[in-house]
Amino acid sequence: MKSLWQFFASVKLAIVLLILLAVASIIGTLIPQGLAPAAYEAHYGQLAGLLMRLRFTGLYHSLWFLALLLLLAANTIVCTLSRLPAKWRRAFRSASGETTLSSVLAMKIKGRFGRNAPAASVASDIGAALASRHYSVSSKPGGDRTVLLARKRRLGHFGSDTVHLGLLVILAGGLVSGLGGFRTQLALSEGETAQVPQAPFAVRLDKFETEYYPQGAIKDWKSTVTVVEGGRPVRKGIIEVNHPLSFGGFSFYQTSYGWDWSKPRLEVVITKTGDPAFSRTVRVGVGQRVPVEDKDVTEIGVVRFVPDFVIGEGNTVQTRSEAPNNPAALIEGWKGEEKVFTGWVFANFPDFTQMHSGPETDLHFVLKSYEAPQYSVLEAARDPGVVLIWAGCVLITGGFFLAFYWPPREIRAVLEQSGSRTEAALGGHAGKNREAFEAEFENLIDALRRS
Amino acid sequence: MSESALFTAAFVLYILSAFVYLSFLMSGKEKGARTALALAVAGLVAHTAALIVRTVESGHAPFTNMYESLSFLSWAMVLAYVLIGRRLPIPRIGAYIMLLVVALVALASSPLMPKEAAPLVPALQSYWLWLHVSVTLLGEAFFAVAFVAAIFYLRAKTEEKRQAMDAVSYRCVAVGFPLFTLGGLVFGMVWAYKAWGTYWSWDPKEVWSLITWFVFALYLHTRIVMGWKGRRSALVAIIGFLAALFTYFGVNYLLAGLHSYA
Repeated sequence: MKSLWQFFASVKLAIVLLILLAVASIIGTLIPQGLAPAAYEAHYGQLAGLLMRLRFTGLYHSLWFLALLLLLAANTIVCTLSRLPAKWRRAFRSASGETTLSSVLAMKIKGRFGRNAPAASVASDIGAALASRHYSVSSKPGGDRTVLLARKRRLGHFGSDTVHLGLLVILAGGLVSGLGGFRTQLALSEGETAQVPQAPFAVRLDKFETEYYPQGAIKDWKSTVTVVEGGRPVRKGIIEVNHPLSFGGFSFYQTSYGWDWSKPRLEVVITKTGDPAFSRTVRVGVGQRVPVEDKDVTEIGVVRFVPDFVIGEGNTVQTRSEAPNNPAALIEGWKGEEKVFTGWVFANFPDFTQMHSGPETDLHFVLKSYEAPQYSVLEAARDPGVVLIWAGCVLITGGFFLAFYWPPREIRAVLEQSGSRTEAALGGHAGKNREAFEAEFENLIDALRRS
Repeated sequence: MSESALFTAAFVLYILSAFVYLSFLMSGKEKGARTALALAVAGLVAHTAALIVRTVESGHAPFTNMYESLSFLSWAMVLAYVLIGRRLPIPRIGAYIMLLVVALVALASSPLMPKEAAPLVPALQSYWLWLHVSVTLLGEAFFAVAFVAAIFYLRAKTEEKRQAMDAVSYRCVAVGFPLFTLGGLVFGMVWAYKAWGTYWSWDPKEVWSLITWFVFALYLHTRIVMGWKGRRSALVAIIGFLAALFTYFGVNYLLAGLHSYA
């Protein structure tokens, strides 16, 4: 047990663990994380199996990475605790009768003076001078020797401990988030309501807007939502990027958006070769047929629509993305109940339109406009670890301040009275920022000598 | 004056400052160091004005693309040098600091860096942009001064100079590390939580910030607890700055991730 304690009390262990964590983290940024096994096989060949077995492909969530973090946590706890008692004594012990004139005069920063007055009165003068410089003074009057111990900024001793505590709290927060957190995405069209999993309420999207800058770039996405609980609206709010909505332990974030291309509203303009007077504009949806007053073609219909047309594997039509980069509609022409032609019409390439599968038609089609209902993707997240994370951040920030900018100071004074004369010696100690302390100490001694 | 005129004026003043510092290194005349510092401060004033003009004209923080953030980082480096120089006598490293600043400003001015102020994408519209980026870059600027002092330490010929450089390097880390932790990690986590719904996503930029943090944690522990001073400490400070540089610059160009702004 004792040797285990000693193992974890070593700063060398901390250094080894920090190096291992740094190296592991670097590896995790060089190997893409969380891809499908096939992607690793394509990229790394035979090495892929080994990388996946070692969890290098999901490194930050692997058990061995977690183990390194937990080892560092144990190391931090033991190191901090084993150094704490000495620091505590240094900061809070009382003046000791064993402090002698010569021990004080052996300190690096020191000074002495004598005065024709009793020790008690000199001690009270020194105490007052120290108190006016914001020192808290502990005194131990004795028969022939009076000892004063004055300190200020005692919290400065605990800067690194506070940082360590903050790190442990953050690590705990990470564990709580990982174990107790829950997140899911809700894709909602306007008017649609979705039950939030693991919550007794639902979210309805009332309105979704995309705002643009005058130059055309996207400025913001705004989802106006209503939280519905037990069939009653309980909260209304607007969710924007950087402005989540919080309700019932959940936060809702604007994460994405898209179009529901299964229900497009299309506008097709039909013209006829050799008949400049012929022009029809029809509005049509997928699976609908609309009449066209022509002798060869009585109706047209739209069979399919894709937002980003591409010919994929096996010569099939696919969509490359959900963004309307290359919108295309598959149009059919009917004469009574006989299908007379089929062909793709491209919004961005009106001249590319090809009609085939049947007798040639002298009709010409242009996909003038295409619209689809937009949906908004909201992320619903419940993260009970966040409170710990923020608490840890506050501790770390405060700890750094204490460690670097709140240097503790200590002044010891010993007074020895012989007859009516009292000899006083003062010694000072400062771990950091010694120059400033020396100046303060000189100033104190001068003031005491003069008074 | 326009932003580009002010920026050019700052550039010219920085170059002059670097030259005067270099001639001071050769001659050792104190007057040269004072002139060089005055030129650097004049450059800093012009640069500050350029940043203010850009902020007013674009309506957003002056660090939303690579040009802007390089400009801000070089500004922060001059500021860090001037601030540290008020506490410690370090005119000798001025030449190298100013050369590094001139290199960064030259890179910012190069045609590789588009200079148009684009309207802010939705993810960047937050006051956390100000807090997160400015504090982080300021911390990195102090790392840069620590780096130059560490290089000087390794090259110094006398023990007296080595001790001075060791002190400068440590003092810079003592300022830079808390700033980097607060701006990069703490403010970064708060903003990520507000914008993305999660305070940590193991994005390459986040991971490299953490790696940089590990290196400077090593710097402090080896130094304070294990008594490493001087040469080994200087090497750790150099590695730390290189990690910070990669976090700032390399991640954008070499690793893909969420953090694809600047």
